[in-house]
Amino acid sequence: MFKKMIAKSTAKSPWIYHINTGSCNGCDIELVAVLTPRYDAERFGFKLAGTPRHADIVVVSGPITSQSKERLLRTLEQVPEPKCVVTIGSCPQSGNVFKGSYSVEAPLEQYVHVDVAIAGCTPKPEAVIEGLYKAAEILGKKREAMNQ
Amino acid sequence: MGITILRLLFYVLIFPGCLFVTAIGLLLAGIDRKVLARMQRRVGPPIVQPVYDFFKLLGKETIIPHAANKTAFLAAPVVGFVSLVVLMLFIPVFSFSAFSGRADLIVVLYLLTIPGVALIVGGSASGSPYAGIGISREMVTMMAYELPLILVLLSVAKMAGGSALCFSLSDIVAWQEAHHSMIAHWQLIPAAVAMLLVIPAEVGTQPFDVAEAETEICEGPLIEYSGAPLAMFKLNTALKMFVMTALFVALFIGGIDTGIVALNALILVLLCIVLTVLCMTLIHAVTARLKIEHLFQFYWTFVTTLATVSLVLVWLGL
Repeated sequence: MFKKMIAKSTAKSPWIYHINTGSCNGCDIELVAVLTPRYDAERFGFKLAGTPRHADIVVVSGPITSQSKERLLRTLEQVPEPKCVVTIGSCPQSGNVFKGSYSVEAPLEQYVHVDVAIAGCTPKPEAVIEGLYKAAEILGKKREAMNQ
Repeated sequence: MGITILRLLFYVLIFPGCLFVTAIGLLLAGIDRKVLARMQRRVGPPIVQPVYDFFKLLGKETIIPHAANKTAFLAAPVVGFVSLVVLMLFIPVFSFSAFSGRADLIVVLYLLTIPGVALIVGGSASGSPYAGIGISREMVTMMAYELPLILVLLSVAKMAGGSALCFSLSDIVAWQEAHHSMIAHWQLIPAAVAMLLVIPAEVGTQPFDVAEAETEICEGPLIEYSGAPLAMFKLNTALKMFVMTALFVALFIGGIDTGIVALNALILVLLCIVLTVLCMTLIHAVTARLKIEHLFQFYWTFVTTLATVSLVLVWLGL
């Protein structure tokens, strides 16, 4: 019963840690918009955490510049299990308009497992909320899998 | 003998102790978040959200950093929790009090510092530079609110004791039943306002959360915590909300007594909810975070003056 309660709570209280890997700030603003009174993601329990140690969902935006790649991977390692990686915008998925640049190492899937990818340049706040909500559900399932 | 032990166990584990404090503390934290959201015209999280947060953190992996001192790192949140539960045993629920002695006000004063000290010990044991900045700020915050808090307690003790100071919380409550509640005596109104302003600093809510400022120093002392120890620290914050408001009720609104313990507890909880909304949620909704020097200045000038005015008025016997 206790384990069920924990799995249920994990899906209902996802804390977000946001990391910008050379994004143009567009997706970052849309992510902040999701937390404002108009869209209010806190009604699903979302909260912006200050440090990767408190995070459940890591939101990555930007086309993974060569400078930030190593730091991004190090940050992802510091997040305690169970965790989810969500990419926001087209940049971390494909490189977007920066594709082919010498300083961009875009598809994030090459380095880590991405649970949810929200496409768009920039995605609408509604899409961001949906993606994050899906990530929260995945989080709950991951916790349940840890019980077995 | 056996019955005494059972009764004490009941006190510690269930009624004013562990279970009661945890349940009401989490309820207050949930109401705080919900009301804050409504004040900002949001829907807000469900009231049970702190319970979800607590259970989720219990289920997360606990990472202990290389640079950390393992024992102090893991023991600090538990020490804070235990001291808060013991604190609640000393605070009377109107006429009922689990433990009472001749000078429990002084014990309460010491126990109140322990959760803050636990945060400092835990933060410094984690070995992070951000935690270093956080604990120095936490120390300054403690220094800032401790002075007005002591002045408030002294003026209440003088009011209840007359010629001698009365440091027994149950005697203070009994005095309030015989006369009126402390808040009904005009000399103590500045002290009550000062105490209301001390509560958010002690708990560490928005304008006074410089020690845990998540946007500038990444939650300060809590930066390296994850999993169960973090759950304990978050629980401690919720417990502090309840313990501090219950202390305010005991000191200033202690004159209501229905004679039935369960009904008294219910009135206490309702008063605590009102006080939480008044002195934490409302201030949180309308202010932004202070700088540490402004916090210090605010407490040692404005709040201390309010407390001193009360103390002088009570001492002159007006």
